[in-house]
Amino acid sequence: MSNKTALLLFLGMTVVTYIPRMLPVLLLGKVKLGPRTEKFLKLIPYTAMSALVFPGVFSMDAARPWIGLTGVAVSGLLAWRKCPMVLCVLAGIAAVFLLLLI
Amino acid sequence: MNGKRQQFIRGMKAGTPIVMGFLPVAISYAIIARQAGMDTFQIALMCLMVFAGASQIMAAGMLIQGAQLAAIIIATFLLNLRHIIMSTCVFEKMEPSARAPRLLGAYWVTDESFAMFTTGTAKKDLTVWFFLGLGLITYLAWFVGSLLGAVLTNFLPAILSASLGVALYALFIALLVPGLKGNGRLSALAVLTAVCNTLLCRVMASSWALIVSTLLCAFLGVFFVDLGEEAAHEQ
Repeated sequence: MSNKTALLLFLGMTVVTYIPRMLPVLLLGKVKLGPRTEKFLKLIPYTAMSALVFPGVFSMDAARPWIGLTGVAVSGLLAWRKCPMVLCVLAGIAAVFLLLLI
Repeated sequence: MNGKRQQFIRGMKAGTPIVMGFLPVAISYAIIARQAGMDTFQIALMCLMVFAGASQIMAAGMLIQGAQLAAIIIATFLLNLRHIIMSTCVFEKMEPSARAPRLLGAYWVTDESFAMFTTGTAKKDLTVWFFLGLGLITYLAWFVGSLLGAVLTNFLPAILSASLGVALYALFIALLVPGLKGNGRLSALAVLTAVCNTLLCRVMASSWALIVSTLLCAFLGVFFVDLGEEAAHEQ
């Protein structure tokens, strides 16, 4: 790909990526949120994270969906036991690595 | 000490797990981008400009298939629409601050910085300076990871790159689980969302499914989930 084409593509992608990220900065102060809306916004992190993991994690190894599932189960269990986050992530990677070796 | 500089540094430290998650994804991105015919300079420049993992990987995939630039840009827009929701949550939670640093922070809103900031951050650190530290370290990790990937493409064993793919999922789960502990209804909501999104992904593009299931389930949650503090307020 020529640098000119690449730059054109990157510029376009940058603009359409930045707009959704910055719109709330411009709009938020102008609207007063009710308690229900606030609760709605507080619930979004939980629903979003759940949706970011499922079903994506199953497609890590399409033929063996349980491999990804075991990986996040290991991480989840360690997080439940209040392990540091880096450890949770590394343990998940290690579990998947071992399962892929089998 | 709770000065701007301290908040910024704590933000960078809080970003460490995200760095662990970003490196492997950045490496996979570089591998795909290489196949799409991008050179090292272009691979790195795309990271510095766009800074959106999923869409960069998608764009590289579309380039391989010979897609037109306009199609890639529209697909990127659709894929990143979800950041309106995430950015709203981030800035709603953040203490008031000047607009300029917020606009810079907005540039660094990702699924991961959003998740870390809205669930894994102490109250005193809900500031724009903390978020800028968090954003900068993840931005650098994404850039460095892609350079590493561009160089390592030919040396990394396939099985290792494959297992690194679980890193971001592991990160999201590790952020999600502590918040669910001791709250059965919130846990039920998380399960409901997982099921909902899995079903929706069968009937629509996954980027749309993510937006719909996130919003729909959070809306349903308003009626049956108790968030400790809220309940106290409303009574």
